Amino acid sequence: MSLASTRSPRISRMSGWLGTLTSTDHKRMGLTLGVCSLFFFLLGGVFALLMRTQLAQSNMQFVSDNSYNELFTMHGSTMIYLFVTPMAIAMGLYLVPLQIGATRVSAPRLCLAGLWTWLCGGLVMQQGWFASGGAGRAGWSSYAPLSNGTNTPGVGQDLWVIGVLLAACGMFVMAACLVATIARRRAPGMSLLRMPVFTWTELVSVLMVVGAFPMLILVMILLYIDRHGGHIFTGFAGAIDYQDLFWFFGHPVVYVMFFPYLGAAAEAIAVSSHKRWFGYIAFVASMMMFAGLSMAVWSHHMYVTGGVTNQYFAFTSTALLVPAGIEYFDMVGTLIGGSIVLRTSMLFALAFFLQFLVGGLSGIFVASPVLDYQAYGTYIIVAHFHYTLFAGSIFGFFAGVYHWFPKISGALLRERLGKLQLLLMVVGTNLTFFPMFFLGNDGMPRRVSRYPTHPGWGTLNELETIGAGIIALGVLTFLVNVFVSLRRPVPAGDDPWLGHTLEWATTSPPPPLNFEAALPPIRSYAPLLDLREAEIDRARERAEVDAG
Amino acid sequence: MHASSPVWAVQGLIDTRTEYDHLFSIYVPIAIGVFALIAVVVLVAVVIYRRRPPERAARWHENNPLEGSYAVLLACVAAFLLYLTFTTEHKVDTVANQQHPSVVIKVSASKWEWAFTYPAYGFTERSGTVGREPLVVPAGQAVRFEISSVDVIHSFWIPALRYKHDAIPGSIQIATLVFRPGVFPGQCAEFCGLRHADMIFTAYAVSPTAFATWARSRGTAPTP
Repeated sequence: MSLASTRSPRISRMSGWLGTLTSTDHKRMGLTLGVCSLFFFLLGGVFALLMRTQLAQSNMQFVSDNSYNELFTMHGSTMIYLFVTPMAIAMGLYLVPLQIGATRVSAPRLCLAGLWTWLCGGLVMQQGWFASGGAGRAGWSSYAPLSNGTNTPGVGQDLWVIGVLLAACGMFVMAACLVATIARRRAPGMSLLRMPVFTWTELVSVLMVVGAFPMLILVMILLYIDRHGGHIFTGFAGAIDYQDLFWFFGHPVVYVMFFPYLGAAAEAIAVSSHKRWFGYIAFVASMMMFAGLSMAVWSHHMYVTGGVTNQYFAFTSTALLVPAGIEYFDMVGTLIGGSIVLRTSMLFALAFFLQFLVGGLSGIFVASPVLDYQAYGTYIIVAHFHYTLFAGSIFGFFAGVYHWFPKISGALLRERLGKLQLLLMVVGTNLTFFPMFFLGNDGMPRRVSRYPTHPGWGTLNELETIGAGIIALGVLTFLVNVFVSLRRPVPAGDDPWLGHTLEWATTSPPPPLNFEAALPPIRSYAPLLDLREAEIDRARERAEVDAG
Repeated sequence: MHASSPVWAVQGLIDTRTEYDHLFSIYVPIAIGVFALIAVVVLVAVVIYRRRPPERAARWHENNPLEGSYAVLLACVAAFLLYLTFTTEHKVDTVANQQHPSVVIKVSASKWEWAFTYPAYGFTERSGTVGREPLVVPAGQAVRFEISSVDVIHSFWIPALRYKHDAIPGSIQIATLVFRPGVFPGQCAEFCGLRHADMIFTAYAVSPTAFATWARSRGTAPTP
């Protein structure tokens, strides 16, 4: 601790805006990144609502074709580059040092530079809205040659490329800082196989960021050169190369957007079951297998191009059901024998697992090339990845918010508002995304602003638009909950849920150097539960002695 | 010719819709079963273990032999699904492309229209933002599509056939398809810019004689 305190910069104690922008305290950086990401989440949500309004009927004239293309491009880009991925890193920045008993993050100034770079990237990308010709409009994956200077001219698409480039650089740097933190700053006794489940999910995620994001950075540089006379992605080979390079980043990032939320849901379930997470070793092994396989599945996005070996990617993609199955087994194993409290964080975590299952099972479906010949480019795919990202990751995120908000703010969130939010979001999510499976199989392609009046299509699309409105109400309920809970705080205390991991052994919110008292002994991945169990054993022994 | 008695089955032709429906009828029930099983187990576990005093929570937290066996079971499920997928894909990709076509149609995609050229008859039909000329094919026979693009990536998709293939500039890709009689909407399935939504066409699968009559009247007569 002495090392950290001598190196801790004076500037980190500044308050206000300047302090927020210049602090190298991992908690303030994590919070800034999280709050900015949440702002982008609301922005991306507004884009989604505008799209769903346009799609409410087959030939709505709510937005123009060009605006619609900008909206779906910026919705996907905002959600992926500016919300789900950075929020996964933000949760790690805030929580990982606390969970491993560290006082600070490694290379904090570099990490802060990463945060600024990412934020600049986000703002640059959104500036496209003010460019003539409009914002980026070639899709979040911006396939070449559609995204080149001839087919998508204009500053907006350039700003998109630069924005993604900066955001990727920033996230790469922050992830590298987290890797170093986990490698070098664990408290004495915290061996790798005593790290909390959430920290493991973060470690695997940030390793994947470090492994895959350089490819995105490279692709964006090449695309920028291509757009300005370089002609890199030309012909059949160029088109296939772009997709290969892009998805070599684009599939691993899918798991970066999943693991930390899985970890958050796992922590919420274990704590709310008063039982440590089941099958820790198998879980860690399955995470490794997940990460390894997910770096080898990228071309399952390219089955219909005729440019890849479909069987190989079908094999790796279908094999993902093995580690995924182990995670579900561990979740059930944690519930059985536990003492379950259905608080909001627990309900969000259970909803995460059950709804993500729809995304996972439909993922096995589209991993089969023959089935993907139909599903590719349709609303089946839109349904599939929204069940993983929205019905999955976002529910895992809210499980984490309700679980850790008391630690971060010192105040409890309101349970009744939380359960209302859950109800609205479960109803809205399934109403929005489930009909998409039917529409897709029936022939509705993604990324169209108008669609033919086939029987049933109007009704299903109307239901989806209503569902999107209900989701928006759910998100508003969350914002109200945060506002009310901060305005009239109900003090949380240090450990409101009987937590298992070290962050619950310090004050809420934690002090600048995280731990003022000595750390409890670390002999497993649930050190605080160890203490409580020893306490129960001593009480039993005393009772037996008294009785005997 | 009736949909319930497909003539290509007699001729040994592979059609994409039958293969898709076969695979679908195995994958989807398994998925629904797995979902129902896990949902019921979670629900029952929550009901049984709800609100017990925390000190009564069990302390066991590991069973590696059980998880290992379970992983083997999962691997078997994956192997079974892959076996089904590979055998079906062999039919759709390899066998279908070797089927002797009765007609060849060149499909050229561009922003934002489809051009269907019938080389044997010497004419081209166009559909998309320019208008809605039909794609006419003989039902119950193998039709060979040679798919290409002149600008960006498009995707040639007829949902009723459960099949699509990308049209990528700089390449000509082959898809041999078999149609049941009927009228089928088709469209571009790869986002291709401003008027992507308008890149639609209609496929008419008619009897081979009706097709021949239509093609001769539509096309310029081949020079002797």
